[in-house]
Amino acid sequence: MSSVTEAPAVLPARPRAAGWARLPLWLRRVILLAAIVGLWQAYVSWSEFGGNPLLFASPVDTTTAFWDGWRDGSLARATWETMRLLLIGVGIGAAIAALFTLFASLSQIGEDILLLLTAILNPLPGVAVLPLALLWFGLSSKAIIFAIANATIWPIAINLTTGFKTVNPTIVATGRNIGLKGVRLVTDVLAPAALPNAISGLKTAWAFGWRTVVAAELVFGVVGGEGGLGTYINNAKLYLFTAKMFAALVSIAILGVAFELLFGVLERRTIVRWGMQRS
Amino acid sequence: MPHPAAGHTAVLRAERVQLGYWAPEGFTLAVQDATFSVAPREKAIVIGPSGCGKSTLLKAVAGFIRPTAGRIQVEGRENLEPGPDRAVVFQEFDQLFPWRSVLDNVAYPLRINGWKRRDALARAREFVELTSLGRAADRYPHQLSGGMKQRVAIARALALDPAMLLMDEPFGSLDMLTRARLQQELNGIIARTHTTLLLVTHSMDEALTVGDKVVVLAGSPSTVIEVVDVREVGPPDSPRYAETRLHLRDLLGVIHEEQEELDVVGH
Repeated sequence: MSSVTEAPAVLPARPRAAGWARLPLWLRRVILLAAIVGLWQAYVSWSEFGGNPLLFASPVDTTTAFWDGWRDGSLARATWETMRLLLIGVGIGAAIAALFTLFASLSQIGEDILLLLTAILNPLPGVAVLPLALLWFGLSSKAIIFAIANATIWPIAINLTTGFKTVNPTIVATGRNIGLKGVRLVTDVLAPAALPNAISGLKTAWAFGWRTVVAAELVFGVVGGEGGLGTYINNAKLYLFTAKMFAALVSIAILGVAFELLFGVLERRTIVRWGMQRS
Repeated sequence: MPHPAAGHTAVLRAERVQLGYWAPEGFTLAVQDATFSVAPREKAIVIGPSGCGKSTLLKAVAGFIRPTAGRIQVEGRENLEPGPDRAVVFQEFDQLFPWRSVLDNVAYPLRINGWKRRDALARAREFVELTSLGRAADRYPHQLSGGMKQRVAIARALALDPAMLLMDEPFGSLDMLTRARLQQELNGIIARTHTTLLLVTHSMDEALTVGDKVVVLAGSPSTVIEVVDVREVGPPDSPRYAETRLHLRDLLGVIHEEQEELDVVGH
């Protein structure tokens, strides 16, 4: 084979994308989603198991239950309650993680403590601490918040600490040179420099938190006052409102996608805009 | 008795400075004895072969490390901590804050040093213009070329109105053409700001183009073997320039050979 030394006068045509790949992304997604819903409906219509509405809800039933749930406020309240617990739990978790990281970045013993605690507590599934939390906080939303906070502290702390440790030394030297020291150096240089890690820690924490909050609510059903989505699913199961269970799952999925998009926006506005995203 | 080179009005006085660093093998001495001074508005270049400790010397002036012996005085002060009175331009392009725009990278250090927001922005704008970055003021560092990033670092340092500007091989990572252009620009800018300069380089041409005097550091561990006045060398094609360049080369080369001989004798 001869080696190519210069560009040919006429560039060869770009390999043509197959029909599917040429469609815009949103259209591909809509088509796939429609196909999945179609399969779902087909299963309900033609399989024996799917034909029993007590066991398996059709797309139409699910949509109706979803719509009714949001209109009468029951599903909206449950969703909001879950979100509330999640926001408080992740908020507390992130705040504690930030304190831990600050402590760890200022002293060697702080770092040792953090690494040890993370090694022990990070592998624990979020709901595993729930029985203990119930013992300490009783049958209240505090117990759930505790479980969420515990599930979120460690992924955030470990990501932040990694971020702090890998901050490029020149930028820290610049920070010190222009007169920053101590806490101000951490907040004004180390923290923004570690933002890519902070965001990825927050994403992991958010995913852990979601799993923990829904699982925790399932475990103890109605907790004084309003129940969340886990409770909603559990109640629907008790009364065999299968379509409601499906509707709650759809709510969870939609929120999951929404937050994925939100994190995407956050990344585009910050680390992508600043050329700091790590591949 | 003060060293003859250390005048009373000097901005920087280095007297018998000894510097080292901790390596895994133990303490390594990098600079054995550095004595020199820099007068106000003077452009001093520290030159030496790779690994002679010239960057270590600059870091000591910046306050990042302490001498193990001797004294470093800046405007009469000793035991220096890092501070904006000795603003540093590093060699690395990533010395800018990526999350701040060009203008903000220059304005922010002013803000934390007590400037009001509006005054800081106005002054930053002025120095961004001075370094020919006006059109890039709103860009982020990752959108700039290497030469532009170094310009931002220079603007940031000079805006702080430092007692002296410290530059650690600031153009070392640039291509030849950009380097030559930035050397000229630096001369033009400093002619307007009258900033006292301490620049570290291993390029003789950079030393001759930018400097008023060249502090030659050589040996391992190194000493200041001569301070060469290069104020009157003229343009690169003048005979005086070539002569001085030869002299510098001899200074740097001779010590190198001596060192090799010493090594042979030592074995």
